[in-house]
Amino acid sequence: MNAKRGAYRLRAVLLLLVVLHFTLRPWLGDPRPAPDFLVLALLVYALRARPGGAAVAGFTIGLLGDALTPVAFGAGALAHTVVGYLAAWGKAIFFAENLAVNAGFFFAGTWVRDLLVLVGGGHVQGTELVWQLLLWSPLKAATTALVGVMVLLIFRRWLAIRITE
Amino acid sequence: MTFASERYASRRDTLAFIVCLLLSVAARMTPAAWHDRVSDGLRGTLLRPLVAMQGWAESVRTTRRRFARVVAERDSAVVVATLAEALREENAQLRAVLGLRERLPARHVAAEVLHQSLPTDGYTLLISAGSRQGVRVLAPVIAPGGLVGVVRSVGGSTSVVVAWAHPDFRASAMTADGAVFGIAGPYGGADPGSLLLELRGVPYREELIPGTRVYTSGLATGEGGIYPRGIPIGTILSVGEEMAGWARTYLVLPAVHPASISHVIVLLDTRVELTGAFAAPQP
Repeated sequence: MNAKRGAYRLRAVLLLLVVLHFTLRPWLGDPRPAPDFLVLALLVYALRARPGGAAVAGFTIGLLGDALTPVAFGAGALAHTVVGYLAAWGKAIFFAENLAVNAGFFFAGTWVRDLLVLVGGGHVQGTELVWQLLLWSPLKAATTALVGVMVLLIFRRWLAIRITE
Repeated sequence: MTFASERYASRRDTLAFIVCLLLSVAARMTPAAWHDRVSDGLRGTLLRPLVAMQGWAESVRTTRRRFARVVAERDSAVVVATLAEALREENAQLRAVLGLRERLPARHVAAEVLHQSLPTDGYTLLISAGSRQGVRVLAPVIAPGGLVGVVRSVGGSTSVVVAWAHPDFRASAMTADGAVFGIAGPYGGADPGSLLLELRGVPYREELIPGTRVYTSGLATGEGGIYPRGIPIGTILSVGEEMAGWARTYLVLPAVHPASISHVIVLLDTRVELTGAFAAPQP
């Protein structure tokens, strides 16, 4: 597959995830455990991008997220920047083609994002923070990981990812 | 779009990361008014088609749910003789949801809540009504159950609402008979009851029993006050804290949970009495 076509296909998958975030997610009931397609798009991009590009993409997604939930403006940008950079960097060092490792990658990325948003924002404290980090964030991370695995399985050729069981 | 031809972070990558980090920290430290301007700008431009898509998805979902409800009601009518009691109860609930708008003696706008994925969703809410629908900053926001919060910033077709769970939220409150007043705000305690409100500054001589309903007092409405009189805030649970011989703080079970609501009403008039607009709580 040539690089140009690969780039177009990656963009198509990312666009699909962004559209799903705003159209499918409202249908999934309680928004707290529902999968986060935006952070998934960032992590899928990080699978293929350099750490600097993933950091910029993370900053952009985070800033847009902050505009939609301006509780702690900048916390989302910071969290997504760190997650994007670390995801691309970590993927470069600990690269794995195993499906379970990729699921763990999506899970960890989503959970760390939530952790950084909550800590960076400083609005959620005490037991509510614990509940958020030990219940709602893991649930969201799990559903995001599940969707991420499905995306990898469905689009593995488009994303040029080899997956072993 | 760059691809990982080298699998290491170069100096350029590190620089990009540091610049993004610094920009994020700078954004975090800028004043709230600036946040609102940037947020409104982004929602009115880049995010506009995406938010419109979400609004459309919410509308379709609601329409489908209503259709399913109508179908269910039609089916229920067939067995109305045997299910009359259940049907009456269901109708009562439907009236509670749909009838509030008819009972409101104030100009208002209905809007969908566009829930977001950040874990801070619920402290603020993005709603699908903005300046084009007449929404203005500091307009009170309610749901069929009671008070949700207040509009913080307004875009063309969306607005951001500060919900009662936000640490900055405060509302002047009173009991139903207007005998006891206090200030309602989110409860910041470190136990599972953190999804509660607290009623502060209640004079020590006044004692509120659990189950007492708390409403907005409407003090100074139109002259700096925000909430009209009579919007349910919640129900007294217990005494939270006592300031020796001076005042008590009560824990309040909120009438509405921001994270779980899907529709709200924005009040455009505030010089009204709303006590009669809300249904009594179910026993």
